[in-house]
Formats: sequence, structure tokens, C-alpha cells
Amino acid sequence: MNAIILSALGGIVMMFTGIFTQNKIVIKNIAIITLLLLLIGNLLHFYGIYMLHVDVKDMLQFNNFGLFFNTIAFTSTLIYFLLSGTDITKVGINVAEYFALIFFVLCGVSILTSFHNLLMLFLGIEILSIPLYILTGADKKNLKSNEAALKYFLMGSFSTGILLMGIALLYGASGNFSIESVPSTTSKVAEMANSSILTPLGLLFVFVALLFKVSAAPFHFWVPDVYDGAPSVFTSFMATIAKAVGFIAFIFLFESRIAELGPSSRIIIPFVIILTLLIGNITAVFQQSVKRMLAYSSIAQAGFMLFVLYSNNDISSEGILLYSVAYSFATIGIFAILIKMKDYTFEGYNGLAKKEPLIAAANTIFLLSLAGIPLTAGFFAKYYMLLSAIKANGQNALWLVIVAVLFAAVSVYYYFRVIQAMYFKEGNPEIATTNTSFKVILLALAAIIIFIGLFPTVVLNFLYF
Amino acid sequence: MNAIEILFWLLSALAIISAMMVLLSKNPVHSVLWLIAVFFAISGHYILLNAQFLAIVNIIVYAGAIMVLFLFVIMLMNLNKESEPKRNFWRILIGIISGGSLLMILVSLIRQATEINNKNALMESGNIGLIKTLGKLLFSDYVVPFEISSVLFLSAMVGAVVIGKKE
Amino acid sequence: MHWLLLASDATNNSAYSYFPIGIQLIFAAGFVAFMIALSQWVGPKRKTNDKLQNFTSGIASHGDARQPMAIKYFLVAILFVLFDVEVIFFYPYAVNFRELGWAGFGAVVMFVSFFLLGFIYIIKKGALKWED
Repeated sequence: MNAIILSALGGIVMMFTGIFTQNKIVIKNIAIITLLLLLIGNLLHFYGIYMLHVDVKDMLQFNNFGLFFNTIAFTSTLIYFLLSGTDITKVGINVAEYFALIFFVLCGVSILTSFHNLLMLFLGIEILSIPLYILTGADKKNLKSNEAALKYFLMGSFSTGILLMGIALLYGASGNFSIESVPSTTSKVAEMANSSILTPLGLLFVFVALLFKVSAAPFHFWVPDVYDGAPSVFTSFMATIAKAVGFIAFIFLFESRIAELGPSSRIIIPFVIILTLLIGNITAVFQQSVKRMLAYSSIAQAGFMLFVLYSNNDISSEGILLYSVAYSFATIGIFAILIKMKDYTFEGYNGLAKKEPLIAAANTIFLLSLAGIPLTAGFFAKYYMLLSAIKANGQNALWLVIVAVLFAAVSVYYYFRVIQAMYFKEGNPEIATTNTSFKVILLALAAIIIFIGLFPTVVLNFLYF
Repeated sequence: MNAIEILFWLLSALAIISAMMVLLSKNPVHSVLWLIAVFFAISGHYILLNAQFLAIVNIIVYAGAIMVLFLFVIMLMNLNKESEPKRNFWRILIGIISGGSLLMILVSLIRQATEINNKNALMESGNIGLIKTLGKLLFSDYVVPFEISSVLFLSAMVGAVVIGKKE
Repeated sequence: MHWLLLASDATNNSAYSYFPIGIQLIFAAGFVAFMIALSQWVGPKRKTNDKLQNFTSGIASHGDARQPMAIKYFLVAILFVLFDVEVIFFYPYAVNFRELGWAGFGAVVMFVSFFLLGFIYIIKKGALKWED
């Protein structure tokens, strides 16, 4: 509850900061301080210290898993503010509003990590999405940004419509909004329609809507254009925190109900995983722009995260947290560097290692982590996801794991293209001047990724302390 | 067939025909007007279900406020005959096939659901939709989502200012 | 007569209470349609080419009437919708004002204060300022 209240208040604080000052540095620093308070408030929740005692009527349930994801999301946002905060202030004139909208997104994140009610799921997804639509179109002078925002908004509202339809059917089946599958006995609606058909159909609709939000195939069509068109700073945020939380919503909703989707779920989920991996990886190979390549690679990464639905056990829950950390940290780092580049194509990176050796080294570590090379966080993230599939289904899952590993190998190709351009090609890349603190934070982030790659259990121990 | 049933079928026919006309009208302003007809028909359904508050809100917010917004958007976009995209035959065909398959699946599922066959909705009775019951629920059981929804409104306000205010 | 008797019963809070409103709606729509049809039917008609042309004060029309509108209208309209929805929430509160007591009052005050903050923000940002 602390996180929800504080993030909403943080958003309001940022709204009013924009009225009282136009100084970009002040606004950025206030945002960082507010975020720190939010992080502390969330940590206090672990120790049972609450701001307000609210009777949530079982609509929200707070557990260590959700709180831990909150911590990951807020920490990632903090790193994101520290690395790219200055670039956020350069997007347009409504600087404080961008930060306010990011805080509102975080409010949506904290709802989605604790919802225990379909109404809350809907509210959480909307509070998460609406600020994102606006952030996508924040660069008003840029036609691509406008197009991306409109596309995202139309597709997003369509998927929200499907979500609402699913929730309505589930309500019709059970007579309440609870996410647990206990049909109410008191409701007249339930007596009328306690049928075998409404529940799976409703769950399928919700399932499809959530697949859209996490950009899984075949509902991924919006991703490349939106991620490419949005201002790069906001793509970084959208592709990491806002996306990973979709999987948390998936876990909460489907961990006990996946079987109710019907026997077809055994086919649907592997199909979605393979299609997502296929489309994401193969299309990423043919991209000329690094930003667009990252958009497709984020689809591919979603394919791995979808294993959480396939295996649906303790290891996959741990794995998704580890994956969120590895993926968010690395992507934020890569984007922080990308924003500084003038030319977003692969050629734009030519010879970066000669000009900025530290930045190139950090970028290499982030890319290696995304590719899942051992000794980086990304390796253990992928390892946990695949291990969970084996644990869940034994030999039957082996073919799926092999396919996933093959696609991971494909992904090495396009991540290494960037590394190759930086180290083995001659060129004079145009990169904006960076100060020392940027480089220090970047290297610290790279060090964290390697540290997690060496000792992944350190992260997971937080879950059980 | 009593009066309620006659009204139900009338309103359903009105809603479906108007919804079709929304899509079939060439002029976008006509589409919006047909959409208002859909909202009125659905409001009629709400009244039949004894959900009076929903019926009124549907008219005030949707038929009133949101449709005005729709009209603004249509006028903002300056839709002329020349700017209309050419209709692609294959795209229409694909649309018909995929939409038709979804319709077929939904209809066959509902037909197969023996539990809801031959069961009518609660017409003209029940007090779930009455404003008093709704208010009690909203401000007691559902007070947390009610408060949280204000965050949604705030982000919409900020968004409107960010997107709509001239720089 | 059974319908009208039911409808006149004010305590009976059912769909039948809307019967008079339905009659009124039908009457209003029917009256308008009737008057338009009547004036078409009774009124004199002399259609010549010149009479059917658009004109203002004798000046020939030029250009298209469909000009893109300023975005200001849109901004005001969208803010109106938000506050319209806020007001909608007052109806269910108003009919339960006594029963909900201080808890309900607190909930509404909190909701309204969020909106008030938003309103102050809008005013301070000058989003409702017409001239700029």
C-alpha cells in the first residue's frame, strides 16, 4: 500500500513542481529524491510499517514476491533517472510532467504487483498504460512520435476492450471480481450462469489482452513502430519496467487458474512462446537501426519470460524476478548509451571503442547479458526459465527448451553486430559529451550485472528473508 | 410475449442496426450520430434490467460528453473525400473471414452452454442496479478502487495538458 | 390501464417507472417529425437553381466549410469529460449521504481533493486560458 500511495503522491508532487519551477536540474533532482522516498516506503512495507491502515477488502494482497518486484522496478527507475534523467528533460518543455507520468506508471506497477481482484487488474493496467501513451507522443514536433502514440493508443484501447470483455465474462461466470476460482453461491448471476463455458472464454480474453500488453506474438505488431517512434528515453522505460510487470500480472492471475483455460492451454502457451521467439529473433536479424533491433529483441526476450506461464512453479517465479532485473538493467544501460548517439544505425557505432572505451565496455557487458552469455545476469535469468520448464514437465519440455536455446543462439548474432561495430570497425561515431558521473553509474551498473551473473542467489535471497 | 419482451427485441434490433450503420455510413459525422442511437438503445436495455443509474450515466457521459469529443476529433481531422484511403478488396475479405470466425466461435459456444440456455436475465426486478444500492457498494466495499481511479483521472489531466497545450 | 397505474406508484422503483418518460420521448420525437413533415407538405415550394445555392449576404460561397478546428476546443472538451465523470460519482453518494456517515464523507473528500489538485494544476498551467 505504501508504494501505491507514495507513487500517486509522487506524481502529484511532480505535477506541482512543474508549476513552481522551470529549472530542469531542480525538477530532475526532486524526481530522484521522490523516487528514493518511494523506494524507502516500499522497503518499509517489508517490515510491516505502513503509512495508512487501509481496509482493502481483499482487493489487494501484498506478499514478498510483489513487494520484491516493486523494489526491482523502483531501483531500475532510479538507475534510469540517474542515467537518462538529463535526457528526459530534453524531450520537450513539459519536463516535470514527464516525471509525473512516470510516477503514475509506477503507481500502476505497484497495483499490478498486488492485485487480488479483476477490477484492480483493470485499474492497474489502465494507470500503467495511459501515461505510456502520452509519453510515446511526448515529442510533439516529431511525426514518428505522433504516429507511434496514436497507434499505441488505438491498439492499447482495443486490447483493454478485450480485457474488459473477458472480465465481464468472468464476472458473469462467478458473480464476483475475485481472481480466485471460487464460484459464489449467493449470487443470482452465478446461479444463472455458473457454466463451464464462460470461465474459459473470459480467461482466454484476459489472456489475449495481457499477451498484447507484454508484446508477445501474435499480438506484437505495435511494438516495433511504437518503440521506434517514441522518444528513445521513454522507449527505455516502456520496454523494461512497464513490460516486466505484465508478467507479474500474468503470474498472479494464472498461477492457480491456468488449467481453467481448458486443455488447449497446453498447446496455446508453447505456440505463443515459439512464435514470439521466432518473430522477435528472426526479424531482429534484419534490422539496420539499433533502436529497432532492440524493439524486436525485446519481443524475443518476452518469449523467454513467457516460460513463466509454461512452467508455473517456484523456479519460474524466481526466474522471472531474476529476468526482470537482468533485462531491465541491461536494457536501461543500452538505451542510455543509445540516446547519446547521433546515428542509431549499426554504422553509427563504428569505432566507439577507440573514442569512448569505458562506454563501449559497459555496452558490451549489457549486450552480453541480453544475449545470455555466462558470467552475466542474463545467463542465469535464461537458465532459470529453462530449468523451470524441465522441472515442470520433464522430458516433454525438452523440445521447447532446445528451441529456446537455438533462438538464444540466433540472438547472439545481432547483439554481437553492435559489439563488432564498436570494436572491429573503423569510424568516427558522433556521441554527445558525457560527464564523469554518467560513466561511473554506467560502469557500476555493468558491475552489478556481472555480480548478479556470478552470484544470482544473492538477489533471490531477498525473497525469503 | 409481453410488453417487456417486445421492448427488449425492439431495443436489441435498434442497437444492432445502429451499430451496423456506424460502420456502414460513409460520412463520419453520421457514424457518430448512429453511435448515439446505439447508446440510447443500450440505455433502454439498462432500464429494462432495472439498472437506472447506469442508463442515465450512459446517456450523460457517453451520449453527451464523449460523443461531443468524437465530433471534435472528426472535425479536427478534416476528413475529405480525397483523403479517404482506397479500400483494399483483400483486406476486406480477410477482415470478414477473421471477424466471422470469431462470431461463429462465440455464437457456437453460447449455444453449447447448456447452463445458460432457456434462462432469461432478471428483467424489471432486482435492486442491484439501483442508485442507492450502487452507492452503498461503491463507498463501502469498492472504496479503494474508487480512490485509486482518481490517479487515473489525474494522469489523464496531465496527459491532456502535455499533448493539448500549445508550447 | 394496468401499466399507468403501476407507473404512478412512486415507491415502485422498477422499469415501469420509466414508462411516462418513454411516452414523453416518443411524443417529443414524434412531434418534431410531424412538424417538419407538415411544413414540408403544406409550405409552398418553388425550386430554382439560384434558390438552392448557398450564400451569405449575397456573397457567393467559397472554400470548404470543414476547416480543422483549433486544438483548444479539444483540450477544454476532454477536461470537461473528466470533471463530468467526477460529478457522476456524486449521485450515488448523495442518495446515501446519511447512511454512509463520516467514512463515506472521508472517501468523497479524498476523491474530490485529488480532483481539486488536478484542477489547480490545470488553472496554473493555463490550460483553460483561451488567448495565448
